[in-house]
Formats: sequence, structure tokens, C-alpha cells
Amino acid sequence: MSAVIRLLLRRLGISVIVLIGVSMLIFAIARVIPGDPARIALGPNAKAEQIASLRAQMHLDESLPVQYGHFLADLSRGDLGISLYTNRPVTKDIAQFLPATLELVFCAGIIMIMLGLPLGILAARYRGRWPDHLIRVLSLVTVSAPGFVWAVILMLLFAFYLPLFPIAGRLNDSFDIARVTGFLTIDTLLAGDFAAFTDALHHLVLPAIALSLSGIGQAARLTRANMVETYNKPYIEMAQAYGFFPSRIARIYAFKPSLIPSLTIIGLDFAAMLGNAFLVEAVFAWPGLSRYGVAVILRKDLNAIMGTVLIIAITFLIVNIIVDLLIAFLNPRIRHSARGSA
Amino acid sequence: MTSLLDIQNLKLNFKTVQGQVEVLHGIDININAGEKVALVGESGSGKSVTARIILGLLQELRQARISGEVYFDGRDINTMKPKDCAKLRGTAMSMIFQDPTSSLNPVITIGQQFTEVLRRRNNKLAQAICDEQATRMLNDVAIPDAQRVLNAYPFQLSGGMNQRVMIAMALANRPKLLLADEPGTALDVSVQAQTLTLMRELVNDYQTAVLLISHNLGVVREFADRVYVIYQGRIVEDGPTSALFANPKHAYTQALMNAVPRIVGTGLAKVPEVSDAFLAPRITHSDVT
Amino acid sequence: MIRAMRILASNPLSLVGLLLVLLITFAAIFAPWLAPFPTHNGAVIDFAFANKGPSARNWMGTDLVGRDIFSRILYAYQISLMLGIVVLAIATPVGTAIGLIAGYVGGWTGSILMRIVDVFLSIPPLVLAIAMMGVLEPTLTNAMLAVTVMWWPWYARLVYSIARSEREEGYVLAAEVIGAGTMHIAFREILPNCLPAIITKMTLDMGFVIIIASSLSFLGLGVQPPTADLGSMVAEGARYLPDSWWLTVFPGLAILVAVFGFNLLGDGLRDILGVDE
Repeated sequence: MSAVIRLLLRRLGISVIVLIGVSMLIFAIARVIPGDPARIALGPNAKAEQIASLRAQMHLDESLPVQYGHFLADLSRGDLGISLYTNRPVTKDIAQFLPATLELVFCAGIIMIMLGLPLGILAARYRGRWPDHLIRVLSLVTVSAPGFVWAVILMLLFAFYLPLFPIAGRLNDSFDIARVTGFLTIDTLLAGDFAAFTDALHHLVLPAIALSLSGIGQAARLTRANMVETYNKPYIEMAQAYGFFPSRIARIYAFKPSLIPSLTIIGLDFAAMLGNAFLVEAVFAWPGLSRYGVAVILRKDLNAIMGTVLIIAITFLIVNIIVDLLIAFLNPRIRHSARGSA
Repeated sequence: MTSLLDIQNLKLNFKTVQGQVEVLHGIDININAGEKVALVGESGSGKSVTARIILGLLQELRQARISGEVYFDGRDINTMKPKDCAKLRGTAMSMIFQDPTSSLNPVITIGQQFTEVLRRRNNKLAQAICDEQATRMLNDVAIPDAQRVLNAYPFQLSGGMNQRVMIAMALANRPKLLLADEPGTALDVSVQAQTLTLMRELVNDYQTAVLLISHNLGVVREFADRVYVIYQGRIVEDGPTSALFANPKHAYTQALMNAVPRIVGTGLAKVPEVSDAFLAPRITHSDVT
Repeated sequence: MIRAMRILASNPLSLVGLLLVLLITFAAIFAPWLAPFPTHNGAVIDFAFANKGPSARNWMGTDLVGRDIFSRILYAYQISLMLGIVVLAIATPVGTAIGLIAGYVGGWTGSILMRIVDVFLSIPPLVLAIAMMGVLEPTLTNAMLAVTVMWWPWYARLVYSIARSEREEGYVLAAEVIGAGTMHIAFREILPNCLPAIITKMTLDMGFVIIIASSLSFLGLGVQPPTADLGSMVAEGARYLPDSWWLTVFPGLAILVAVFGFNLLGDGLRDILGVDE
């Protein structure tokens, strides 16, 4: 197990370096652009003294490295500044809106894995035959449209024409659930309200599918490609020479070795959903980070913009670390590297 | 006596972008129960595809057109349903591959792979019995610490160790026929010799018939009772090993034997690229020498 | 070339992709002549025909101020294709050069370059572009800038990994032995071996850039009205679902068809050029 812990420490170290880089990049985007952030924030009708006091408050009169120093110092205290839009600490705003987005992304990720991997396995098992062609075309269609197009199409079909699912929101107003984690599927269960839990799931279905569709296609294509490569390996021929069932060869002998290279990309797709959630949330009026993000962007609320991007980058890094650990766990070469060869 | 494997007039065509290519031009091979037979030829002569036809693997390929008869235990593999054919693989016949380390699945332990092989014969076999049988088989191929090997992944073992594991797996279900495609060519010469000796002892013990596919005349001479020489999809010469080696009659066999570098330092032999004599009709040595 | 044509012909899907790409390019270039209402690209108001469903006059219906949606889609393709071409024309050479240098030279230079690439790659692509558009004015030029900034690292990483493996190949060692310069080896010896992968990625990325750009304008952060853009057309129409479905469905399908075409073609190129996924 020590090899995995060493890997974890190394990944955490790299992540800290990358995170410092990300903070510099975000800082650069926010400060190096032409224009005075204070003037942009306060609008064209602001008085000179208002602008001056905000400039002092945002340390804008000092040199760029000093400004960055202030930014980092605040950051290390978990202080992302005050949102000029809500007049609340940015961390509070994010804590309020992030769980809804994470819940959506998490569900979409599960759908992506549950559908994308089996479709990829099926295509690889019947490579060159009709199930392969069918899955190839379907997955190519799903990756060919942005999330908001799928959201609109799904909403039109399954909320309006066939009113199977709710049109918008996370939960019916008739339910009054105490917000503990912010994840409604968990909060409703904590409250012991099973009807509310079902309702929360019901609201999740369409947005989560819309968000996951391109990921499903991506995962299926990737799994198929890696498995087709694995099918040329001698150990697959050996499995065939031993007369194992083709479906068993597909699921175990070809899929397991192919999963390891696929996982990194699947992790990236998962993380990309954090961005695409902006699009799907907008269509389904999902009260997540997107509504907040778009609002603060339109108001040029720099603290809130920087905070939102930073939180998303951190979430992204955490997902990547989890994926790396998963790979280490699945790949015996990494897991047993401490033991050495016999 | 009826033979275990009887191949008659086997032809193989591949469909490619350029059109049909005939790879085997009608070959006949015969193996009796418990007999050790070698198929010798250069790479591309068609020896490896022959093994895959016997296993029934090539028949599943859509680009392959196969004609002729491949009788195994009295049943024609060419006309068998793919499902019935799959039932024979891993039970009545099995195969050993060129590179043991890349032929074992890299992410599954040896023990699990062994269990899968043993359950080909009886898929309800309990894990404990599988482990016990695997241990016994590994002991048979001179692996004393079987428990450690069963818990290992192929990359943790040496090539020679993996080769022994593969021999143990191939013989675990006591097949009637073992196909060995260039066994151990990827290994060091000394390790290859050790594992071949081991394999010969075991197949003698178990009365398993072997079709050894090789380009190495030294290995063939030590191992086989009878030899078929294959050249460009045709059998050019066959007969008992001693007779054939003592008196090679076909021009191609003679060239093949001259091409083997001698340790005495007489230099590399000159072998013509192509020769009309190589295409001369088949020569069969009589079974009595 | 003949071999490529034969593979393309034996792969009807890539042929469909090629045809779609040609069709869309043709439609975009000749939009002013092909569009039934060429003036509807800009601020035209025709309330007599406002918000009408598909008809013989307006094949895909009209928007809220009576503009022909089909005409606007043709013009919107101009914006999408131009954006894709400009972004890739800048991002590809920049990313390729950085990836080549990092991959072949390696050492400290390589590590630092790739850490910078990692920083860019650790923000989800769309989020980085959204953040940039958040501080920039929403114009076409700025949208191109934002998408380019998020795009080059992907090429850097692709070329880096190829250059790393090619560095150990015999032909590179041979060039080093005869004393060829670093830049010569990187750009004359290794780069040609990266080209198939780069070309395939560019074709697939044309579709992906169209998706990202339309996403930006969907959020109101890209091309501004009255200029026709597929993303903002969907955003405007989404408020009028389900009754005025044509406002969203046709621009949405227009994105799907264009991106699908580039993806089919890219997939076919991958097979022809023998690129690993």
C-alpha cells in the first residue's frame, strides 16, 4: 500500500504547484486586462471618491506582485473577498450554489460511466459488425452537440410533449427540506422524506442526461478504441485459444487492461462537465453555480469570478487525484511496485 | 488405427483489399494419439495459421475462406458450429504461445487465470479445489513455491517462470492435443531448452499428442517423432525425424538444413532466395527406417 | 493519395462527413446569394411575419422580430467557421512549437513549459473561456482570443507526448550522430511525424471549437445581437418553448449537423492517416 501513499503525496505536491499556477493565471486574467477593475465594477456613473476607496480596498494602487501577495494571503485564509453583486463573502455564495452543481455533475458522471463503458465494450466485442457501426454513429451524434442543445431537445420531448419529467428546478415547492449538505438527494433522505427524495431524483433525470450525453459518447468511443487495441494483444488470442466465451473475454480479458488508459480521459470528461453544467443549468433553471457565475460575469464582479473559477479548478484537481489513485489501485504494476519483481 | 488429428487438402484464402490471396494450397497432416509431430518452415510459410485453423479460431474470421477437412477425434472442425468448436478449446486441445509474458493477462493474477482455465472443464469447480489442482500442476513444472506464483501478476515473474506457468495451464485439463507455436522463442536459449525438456517429460507422462510449430531445426530434432516441412503453404517433405534428418531429399529441406550455422565455424551457408527446386512435389519418407 | 481515396470510398461515413463539411462551407461562403432573405443577418424588423412556424416562405420559420431563421443560420455558419479557422490557425502552431520544444529538448525547459500547460489544462476548457469573457468585452475578436488561449495547451500536450516517444527512435538518434542542430531535428525530423495526429485533431477540433463558441454566445458572452449566431439564437428561443419550438430546434440542429460533419471527417482521417486515438 505504501506505493499508493507515495503516489498520493506526489500528486498532492504537484497539485499544489499547479494550483499556485492557476491562481496566477486567474489573477492575470483579472488584473492584466485593460481597464480599471474598480471602475468596471462600479459602473460608468460612479463618483471619483467611490472608485478611489474601492481601489484602496482591492489594493489596486499597489504594484502587481504586491497585489498578488495580498490575493494569495487572503486565499490562504480561505478569504475570496466580498462579492460586489451579492455583498456577501464569495465563499458563502459558493458554498450555497456549489452543492447543486456538484449533485448534477455527479449524477451525470455516474450515467456516463454506467452507459458509456458498456456501450464501448459492446462495440469492441462486435467490432466491424453492425452493433459497432450503430454505436459509433450514435456516440458521434451525442458528442456533436453542446449540452444546451441536448437540454432543449430533451426538455421539449420529455417535459413538454411527453410530460414525464418536471421542466425546471430541483424540488417541488411543496416540500420543505432542511438544507444540511446542500445535496437534495441526501438532505431529503436525512429528513426521512421519501416522497421528497423521489421528487428530487425526478428533477435530476433530464438535466443529468443532457449533461452526460456527450460524455457517454466520448466514453464509449474511448473504451472501444482502447479495447480494439487490446484485442490485438497475445493474451486475448490465448484466451480465445482456451475457448472462453467471447462475452467473458470482452468483459474481463479485454476490458480490464483497457480501462486503465481510458480512466484518465474519463476523469477529464467528468471534469469538463463542471463547465458544461453552466449550459444545462441555464436551460433547466437549475439553481447552481452557473446562475451565480453568469450573473457575476455580466456585472464584472471580479472577486466572485476569480473565486468561482478557482473553486472549479480545485474540484477539477481533486477529481484528477481520485482518478490517479483509482488507476494506481487498478493497475497491479503501480500497486505492487514497492514489492519489486520476483 | 484412426488418427487424433487428420487434415486433408486444407486450403486457406484471405480476402484483402487487393483481392484473394491463397495462403495454404491444400495441405495434409496426420497426428496419432500421443504422438509428437513438428511442423517446420520459415516465417510466412503458413505454419501459424494452420494451428489457428485446428483451434477453429480462423474460421470465425470473415476474411478467411477455408476448405478441406480438419478431423479432430473423428469430427470435422471446419463444419462444426463455432460454439461446439469453442467447447473443445481449453479442454480437448490447448495451445502454448511464443512469448509467455505477453500471453498472460497483465492485470489478472496467475491464480485467477489458472482458475478460469480449470473451470473450462467444470465451471462449478470450487476455488479451493482449483487452487489445489493449480498448485499440483505448478509443482509438476518444477515450481516449488506455487502459492507465491499464484498470487503474482505475470510482470512479477521471469520469462522462464511464465513459460512454466503456461505449460502447466495448457496441460491442466489433460488435453488430447497440444499446439505449441514457437514455444519459448522469446526466451534465452538456455531457458528455452529447460522448459522444452520439461514439456517433453510432461506430454510423455500424460500421453498428450503435440503439434510443435517451429523454425528451429535443433529443437525439432530433439523433440519430435515425426516432421512435416512446410514451404509457401505446401508440405514439401515429411517423415520420421531420424529418417528425414539423416537423408533430406527435398531441395528446400536441404537448403533449410544447410542454413543452420554450425558452431565449428564453416561460415554462413548460401541459401538461394527462390529456387524452382523448392517447388518440387512432396516427398514422403516411409514410416519404417 | 489513391490509397486515401480508396479508404474514403470504402468508408461511407467519412464520405458523408466530407460532403457535410463541403456543403456547410459552401453555404457559409455563398450565404449572401443562397439566403432567401440576405438582409435578415442584421437588425431587420418585419412584424407582419414575426414568430411564424415553418412555411413555404420561411422553411425554418421566423424569429420574434420576423427574420428568416434559415437565412440567419447560413450567416451564422460564416461566424462559426471563421472562428474555428482563426482559433486553430493560431492555437495549433503555438501549441505545436511549445510541445515540440518541451518534448525534444526536455530538461528544465521542458518541465517548466509542461507545468504551464498543466495549469491551463487544469481549468475545464469552457470555464477558462467563460472567465476570460467575463473580464473582456463580448465581441467576436475577444471570443476568438478567449478560445485560442484555452486551446493551444491541448496541442502542446499532444505534440509533447509524440515528441517524447519519437526522441528515442532510430532516425532521431541517427540525425544526432551526424550532428544535426536541435531546431533542425525538432522541426524537420520530428514534426513531420506529428503531422497526421495534428491534422486529425484539427479536423475534430473544428467541431469542438464550434461547440465552445456557440456555448459562449449561448451564455451571452460571445457575438452580440443583432449578428446571427447559432448559440445566441438557441438562447433567445429557449424562453419561448414549447410553442415556438422552431426558434431553438433549427439552430440547435444546425450546430449538430456541422459538428457531426467535422467529426465524421476527422474519424475517417484518423483511419486514413493511421493515427492512434
